[in-house]
Amino acid sequence: MSPPQANQPLPPGHQLENYRIERQLSMGGFSIVYLAYDEEDTPVAIKEYLPNSLALRSAGDVLPTISEEHRATFRHGMKCFFEEGRALAHLSHPNVVRVLNFFRANETVYMVMQYERGRTLQEHIQKHRGEIKETFIRNVFVRLLNGLREVHTHKLLHLDIKPANIYLRIDGNPVLLDFGAARQALGGEGPNLKPMYTPGYAAPEQYKAPDQLGPWTDIYAVGASMYACLGGTVPQPAIDRLEKDRFEPAAKKWAGKYSPQLLETIDWCLDLDHHERPLSVFALQKALTERQPAVNESTWIDTLGQRLRGLIKK
Amino acid sequence: MKFTIYQESRVGKRRNNQDRLAHCYSRDALLMVVADGMGGHLHGEVAAQIAVQYLTEAFQREAKPRLTDPFMFLAGSLQNAHRAVQDYALAKRLPEAESPRTTCVACIVQDSVAYWAHAGDSRLYTLREGRVLTKTRDHSTVQSMIDEGHLTAAEAVNHPLRNRIYSCLGGVQNPQLDFSRKTTLQAGDVIALMSDGVWGPLADQQIVAALHGRDVRQAVPRLLDEAERMGGPNCDNLSLVAMAWGENYGEEVTTSVETQSLPFDGHSTQMPEFDHRSLPLPELSDDDIERAIDEIRNAIKKHSK
Repeated sequence: MSPPQANQPLPPGHQLENYRIERQLSMGGFSIVYLAYDEEDTPVAIKEYLPNSLALRSAGDVLPTISEEHRATFRHGMKCFFEEGRALAHLSHPNVVRVLNFFRANETVYMVMQYERGRTLQEHIQKHRGEIKETFIRNVFVRLLNGLREVHTHKLLHLDIKPANIYLRIDGNPVLLDFGAARQALGGEGPNLKPMYTPGYAAPEQYKAPDQLGPWTDIYAVGASMYACLGGTVPQPAIDRLEKDRFEPAAKKWAGKYSPQLLETIDWCLDLDHHERPLSVFALQKALTERQPAVNESTWIDTLGQRLRGLIKK
Repeated sequence: MKFTIYQESRVGKRRNNQDRLAHCYSRDALLMVVADGMGGHLHGEVAAQIAVQYLTEAFQREAKPRLTDPFMFLAGSLQNAHRAVQDYALAKRLPEAESPRTTCVACIVQDSVAYWAHAGDSRLYTLREGRVLTKTRDHSTVQSMIDEGHLTAAEAVNHPLRNRIYSCLGGVQNPQLDFSRKTTLQAGDVIALMSDGVWGPLADQQIVAALHGRDVRQAVPRLLDEAERMGGPNCDNLSLVAMAWGENYGEEVTTSVETQSLPFDGHSTQMPEFDHRSLPLPELSDDDIERAIDEIRNAIKKHSK
């Protein structure tokens, strides 16, 4: 009779193992994230595995109701949650969210992560649409790429990089969040868990050639995230670009507002052909730290070089 | 007919919710409708209520279980709903300035074909394969300005006239109703009807990303969360009904409406719950879970100094 309910979060003040729940931070289809405090009153973010369609917690309850016929699916979905935990547990880097603990309670599983004050790059873009400075973009992404390098060094791919998954600490230092998609890099999850993509940020190979995923796939998403910083718009989704490419190169759209070198770098990341993108995070970092050349001979030679590359592609 | 449908309406940051929405189906036909009321006091709310109620009642009368002509049904019932709102204004002797008015977008699906019509700036989107297949054109001043090349879509977002519409139900003028083409649906297509409180703060891409290929029962509340967040401190009322056609989704999305189970002349505005298909899954035992957790905890210990 009534529409399916949304899951109820654990109430403020609830004692979950060694943590005291403060409030809900966000709720997705698969999990709820809480702000909580540990025994030393250090704030942490706790992610609770609770897929809406399989487990229901009603108001006032702590244990979710999982019907017998959903039990297997519910447990199967837990695997993704473990993959995320596994991926993060192996990483210890200031620009990658830290997982602090992992435990089982209330018939489900919980991942405790470091919590810091700040906001997502998405929120920052929304607040400062069209006014984001070149130095901000270079600074944030060069540091974020330090974290991404660490991810790639561990033979992991993030696969869902986007401004909403990039958190800016109060000091401006970025942290890469949400490794919920990272499991795909590990393969073999079977057909039941559909890969997730965020249109505009997902690279073409994520739709068309999942066997060709690589560091270049994350690089495409980094390019799209930088592109989003320029004017608050997302590039045309790759799947549509494959059909009819209406992508407006940053170098054209934002000419005069940002240095050509930055804009060309962003467009470079967004090449549909992954062979044409920066081959590694390191190569991209190098391009982003390159000092913006003053208008001199080398500039137009660079530009000419890039134009030639553009022509050769066609 | 087989589909998954979910609807939700929120007040946003306004004092009251002048939006109304409904869906209703017989064995062979489905109606979805969203109305966004305007007018002083609570009259907008009443106008939206009258429109939605009029359409659902007409549907229940005529869809037994099929509509003879869906376009004729939409034309007739929207026109009559317009008069019903006018009658209300007359009965209450409301001055023209306060006259209750409402936008309205309504959609019929029958034989896997969708038909829709609208007046005002409540929109209908059809989504296919991760893209916007069609989108209604607002009867709004800014949309005309965009069409005439006086304004870009980006400039329209915060334009002072963005809420001015030139077609609605109620009011002195006859509504201008725009009708869709007959659109044959494919499995996986999504039809979404929404008030401007939803599409206003969002880019089309966000709407596609949120609704396409996802379970509408979770996607709808999430998209509303997003619109509400982006809508900020003056967030308008938000109403959204989204319907995913057919099946062949991932296993998470198996609760759908099967209209074959309805009696021949029955109707339902409810959503019967169906069981999740039980697919043979490798069982994850308690031991497996404990092992995975131990492994993760050890990795955490090893990698943190």
